[in-house]
Amino acid sequence: MKPYLGLLRMSTRRILTYRLNSLILWIGGATFLAGSLAVWHALLSEGAIGGYDWDQMKAYLLVGWATASIGSAYGDWWMASRIFDGHVATDLTKPLDYQWARFSEHMGGLATEFIAITIAATAIVTFTGGLVVPGPGQALLFAVSFLLVAPLKFTIAYITTMACFWTQNFMGVSWAKDAIVTLFSGALIPLALLPAWLAGPAAVLPFASITATPAALYLGQATGWEALRLLAVQAAWVLVLWWGARLIWRRALRALTVHGG
Amino acid sequence: MRRTLRIYRRSLGAHLRAVLEYEADFWVLIVAGLLFQVLNLIFLSAVFAHVPALNGWSYPEAVLLAGTYGFVNGLGPLFFEGTWRLAGKINHGELDYPLTRPAPVLVQVVSGGIGLHGVGDLIGGGAMIGWGLAHSDIDWSPARIGGALLLLASSATILLSLIVVGNAASFWVGGNHPVFAMTLIRTGDMAKYPLSIYGVAVRATFTVLVPYAFISFFPASWLLDKESAWIGLLTPLVALYCAYLARLVFRHGLRRYDSAGH
Repeated sequence: MKPYLGLLRMSTRRILTYRLNSLILWIGGATFLAGSLAVWHALLSEGAIGGYDWDQMKAYLLVGWATASIGSAYGDWWMASRIFDGHVATDLTKPLDYQWARFSEHMGGLATEFIAITIAATAIVTFTGGLVVPGPGQALLFAVSFLLVAPLKFTIAYITTMACFWTQNFMGVSWAKDAIVTLFSGALIPLALLPAWLAGPAAVLPFASITATPAALYLGQATGWEALRLLAVQAAWVLVLWWGARLIWRRALRALTVHGG
Repeated sequence: MRRTLRIYRRSLGAHLRAVLEYEADFWVLIVAGLLFQVLNLIFLSAVFAHVPALNGWSYPEAVLLAGTYGFVNGLGPLFFEGTWRLAGKINHGELDYPLTRPAPVLVQVVSGGIGLHGVGDLIGGGAMIGWGLAHSDIDWSPARIGGALLLLASSATILLSLIVVGNAASFWVGGNHPVFAMTLIRTGDMAKYPLSIYGVAVRATFTVLVPYAFISFFPASWLLDKESAWIGLLTPLVALYCAYLARLVFRHGLRRYDSAGH
C-alpha cells in the first residue's frame, strides 16, 4: 500500500509543480462550463426540453462537468509517453503491480479536482441564483456513485492507453475515446434527448455510468430500487473493466517493442 | 518570401511522410477528427428536434455556423501543428536548433509537425457547410461568392494567428504543455454557436478582446444577411491585425528564450 500512496503523492506534487499551468487549465474548464450554461439558458428560454427545465439543466451540467473533471489528471499521457520512449521497461522491473501503480498516479489530481469542483458549484449558486439540492438519501446515493466515477474513468483511460503498444500516436486514440465517452456518457446532451439509434447503444455501454447515473441520482430521476440498480451496474462495470484490463495487459505486453537501451 | 515558402513546404512534407509511415495512426487520427464534428452535429440535431430556432438561427444556419468553425479548426493541425510543440521545445531547450539554422524561426516552428485529425475536421466541417448552404436561404451572386471565400480565408488567418499567439505565451508561462494555447483555443469553441445567445460581457470579449466571433459568427452572419451583417466585412481587417499580433508576440517571446542547461 505504501509505495502506491507514494506514487499518488508524487503525482499530486508533479501537478502542483506547474501551478500556473493547472490554474490556466481550470480557467479553461470553467469557461467551457459557462459556455454550456449559456447555450442551454438560451435553448431553455422558451420552456423545458425533454423534461429538463433551467434549474434541472443547471444541476445536470454541473454534474456532467464535475464527472468529466474528476480523475482526469495526466496519468494516461504519462503512461503513453513511457510506452513510446521505452521507459515502460523500467516500470516493469519495479516490484509493483503495474495497474495499481498507474491507478495511484491517476488519482493524484483528485485533491485539486475536488477543490475546483467546489469552486464551480459555488460560482453557479452565486451567479445563476441557486442550485437544485437533493434530499439526504439521494445525496448519499449520488456521493457513492460520484466516487465510483473515478475508478471507472481510470479503467477506460487505462484500457485506451494500452493501444499505445500497437500504435505510435496516443493523441488520436485519446481523442476518439473522449468523443465516444462524451457522447455515450450523457456529457454532450442528456441521454433522453438522443435519437433512438444512439440512445440504444448508450443504454448498454459502460459510459452511461460516468455522467448519466450520477446525474439521475442527483436530480432524483432514479429513486429506491432503481437507484440501487444503477449503482450496482456502475460497480459491476468497474470490476469488469478492471479485470478486463488485466487480460488485455497480458496480450499488450507481448506487443511491446523497445528499441536500444 | 519564395524561399521561406519552399522551406515551409519541404519541412511540412517531411513531417507528412513521417506520419504516413504509420497507417493505423493515420486512420485513427482522421476518424478522431471526424468524430468531433459528428458530435457537434448530433448535439445540434438533438436540440433542434425540440426547438425550432436558437435566437433566430434555424437548424441549417446553426449547422453552417458550426461547420465553418469546424472546417477552419481543421486547418490548424494540417498547416500549423508544429506550433503546438513550441512549449515542449522551449522546455527542453530544443529551440537552439531552429535558432542556428538560416531560416525564419517562426516558419521552422510552425511547420514542425502535421496533425492528420485536421483532415477529419475538414471533411466533417466541409460537409456541414455544404449541407447548411444548400438548406439556407442565400441570395447568391458573384460578389457574394467572392466575399464568402475572402471571409473564409480571413477567418482561417485569425484562428492560425491565435494559435501562434497562444503557443508563444509558453515563452512566459513555462511548462512542457501549451496549456495557455489549449485554453485560448478551447474557449473559442463557444463561437460554434450564435454569439447572440451569450451575455453582453462574452459578446464584447469575443468581438474586441479575443476575436473568436470573427472566426465563424460574423462571416456567417454576413453570408446569411443576419442582424448587423456588415460587421462580417471587417473580418479581413481583424485577420491582418491578428497576423501582426502573432508576429509581434512571437518575436518578443523569442527574446526571452534562454535555452536549457545541457
